[in-house]
Amino acid sequence: MADPVLSVRDLRVEFPTRRDLLVGLDGVSFDIHQGEVLGFVGESGAGKSITGAAIMQQIAAPGRIAGGEIRLNGQRIDKLSRTGMERIRGRHIGMVFQDPLTSLNPLMTIGDHLTETIGVHLGLGRRAARDRAVSLLEEVGIPEPAERLRSYPHEFSGGQRQRIVIALALCAEPELVIADEPTTALDVSVQAQIIALIRRLCDTHGTAFMLITHDMGMIAETADRVAVMYAGRVVEIGRVADIVAHPAHPYTQGLIAAIPSLETDAERLRQIPGAMPSLSAIPDGCVFHPRCELADDLCRTRRPVLAGEGDHRTACHRTAQAEYAP
Amino acid sequence: MSGASHFVEVRNLSRRFDVSKPWLNRLIEGGGRRYVEAVRDVSFDVDKGETFALVGESGSGKSTVARMLVGLMSPDRGSVTIDGTSITGEASRSEQRALRRRMQMIFQDPYASLNPRWRVGRIIAEPMLALKVVPSSADAASETARLLTLVGMSAGDMRRYPHEFSGGQRQRIAIARALAARAEFIVCDEPTSALDVSVQAQILNLMRDLQQELGLTYVLISHNLAVVRHMAGRIGVMHAGRLVEVQPARQLFVSPQHDYTRMLIGSVPQMSSAMRRASSTRGAPCP
Repeated sequence: MADPVLSVRDLRVEFPTRRDLLVGLDGVSFDIHQGEVLGFVGESGAGKSITGAAIMQQIAAPGRIAGGEIRLNGQRIDKLSRTGMERIRGRHIGMVFQDPLTSLNPLMTIGDHLTETIGVHLGLGRRAARDRAVSLLEEVGIPEPAERLRSYPHEFSGGQRQRIVIALALCAEPELVIADEPTTALDVSVQAQIIALIRRLCDTHGTAFMLITHDMGMIAETADRVAVMYAGRVVEIGRVADIVAHPAHPYTQGLIAAIPSLETDAERLRQIPGAMPSLSAIPDGCVFHPRCELADDLCRTRRPVLAGEGDHRTACHRTAQAEYAP
Repeated sequence: MSGASHFVEVRNLSRRFDVSKPWLNRLIEGGGRRYVEAVRDVSFDVDKGETFALVGESGSGKSTVARMLVGLMSPDRGSVTIDGTSITGEASRSEQRALRRRMQMIFQDPYASLNPRWRVGRIIAEPMLALKVVPSSADAASETARLLTLVGMSAGDMRRYPHEFSGGQRQRIAIARALAARAEFIVCDEPTSALDVSVQAQILNLMRDLQQELGLTYVLISHNLAVVRHMAGRIGVMHAGRLVEVQPARQLFVSPQHDYTRMLIGSVPQMSSAMRRASSTRGAPCP
C-alpha cells in the first residue's frame, strides 16, 4: 500500500480555561490515501470540526495541539511556522466550509477570487490564470464559465456557490481537501449534485477528501471509509459498507438505528438515552459508558483503544478483542 | 367534500409577498411592483388525531402555509377552518380567541423561540395565564411541574433558564409550552432539524407518545423525507408554492405520481447506498 496522503497519530487538542483543562481531541489517529474519501461522522461537539481545524493549524487560541503528529506526504506539518503553514494551505490542502457565502468575498467577482488564488499558488500569468479559472468552473459544472467570471457571489444560487468554493479549493490541485459540512446548507436535490461532484473529482484527480458531516446518509453515498467520533475520540473506523451493515460500537449502532429510514418501517426510533458529555465532564474509562447498555466495571475504569481485525477497528471492551491502554 | 367532517380544512390558500424595489428606485429606474407567489391555491384536510406532513425544499412555501394555519399571517385568498370555526376572518373575536387556545406552534430553532431572560417555569406558565386556562398562578405552577414531567424533564427544571439546557431539552420545553394551553392542534415547523440524530429520535418518539396519550393533531413541516415518512399518516409535497401531490405516507414512496416528488425521493442519501457502491464496479480506492 502506498504511503497515505495524510497521516494523523495520537492527536491531542487542549483548550485551557481559567478553571481547568478541556481536552477537545484525545488520541485521534487515522490515515487518508490518495483518491479516497474518509468521512468523519458524529454529533455536535464530537470533535469532527476540531480535527479538520487542527490539521490546518486553525485552532483558535487558547486552544492548542498538545500532542501527536500530523504528516502530509510524510512531512510533519503540525510544528510548521505560520509562514510554513501558509504555503501548505490552499496549495496542498484545500478547504470547503458549510456556508459558501461566508467563504467568498461579496465585493470580489468570481474571476478575481479564482485568478488571485491561482496566481498566488501556481504563479501563472493573468491570461493563463484566467484560462485555468474557466476550465475549473467548467469542471465543477458552472454553465457559461467564461461569462460568469464577471459575476459576484450573490448572483449565484447556494449550490452554485458551493461549486465555486470547491473550484477554489481545487485551484492548486491540492492532494487533500477538507470539506466541513459542505452540503448542510443546501437542499437535498442540490446536495445530491455536490456529492456526485466530490466523487467525480476524487476519482479523476485522485484528490483525497476528508469529509466532515453529521449526516450518515451523506457518508454512505460519498465516503469510502468512515471514522465515527464521540466526545473527542474516534470510537470506530472502517469501510463504510462494513460499518453501515455491521456497526460494532454500541454508539455507532445507536446512531444508525436512530435515523428514520425511507426503506424500513419502525413504530419507534431507537433512542440513545442522555446526551454526549460536555468537554468539562468527560467520564473515566470508556467515554460512552454512561449511555451504554453493555457497560460493566471494566468500561467504567479502563479506556478502550481502537482494535480489531483488518481495517475495521472499534474502541469497545464489549464488542472487540480490545488491547488495553496502559 | 362536505363542511364539518374534517378537523382542519384548508381551502384555496394563497399568499404573495411584495418584493418590489423601494418607491424611489422604482421612480428613478422605472419598473413596477413585483410579487412572489409564495403559496398558490393550496387545499387540504387534516383529521383529528392525524399527522399531516408538508415536505418541500427551501422556498417551496411550506413555512408560509404553517404560519397561515395558526393565524400568524393572514392569507390573501382562501380560508382555514378549524373544528368548524374560521380563523381567517368571519368568526367573532371571542370565537377566534377560544380557537387560538386550542392551537399552538413549535418552531425550528429552540435557541430563538424561548425568552432567554425568563425562567422555564414562567415560559410554560405564561400561555396558561394569558389564555386563562388555570384560575391562579399556584395552579399554573403545579400544572407546569406536571407538563415538565410529561415531556421527560423534572419539575425542578422550572427554576432554571433556557441557556442551561441543550437543544433537545429546549425543544421539550417548547413542546411543554405548546401543551400548556391545552392545545389539541400543533403545527410543528421543522421541529428537529436543528437537533442531532440521537436527540431527534428522542423528540420524535416523544411527539408520537404525546399524540397517542392526548389525541393531538399535528401538521408537521419538514424538508426531511425520512422524518416525514416516519411520523406522518399523509404527506403533501410542496413545490414552488403549489401542493403538487398528497398521498398516504407509505404510498408516496412506493408510487410517487409527480415528477418533482420522484426527484426529491431519488436525491435523499440512503444508508443502503454504501452497500450498493461497495458491490459495484468501482474498485478499492487506495492502491
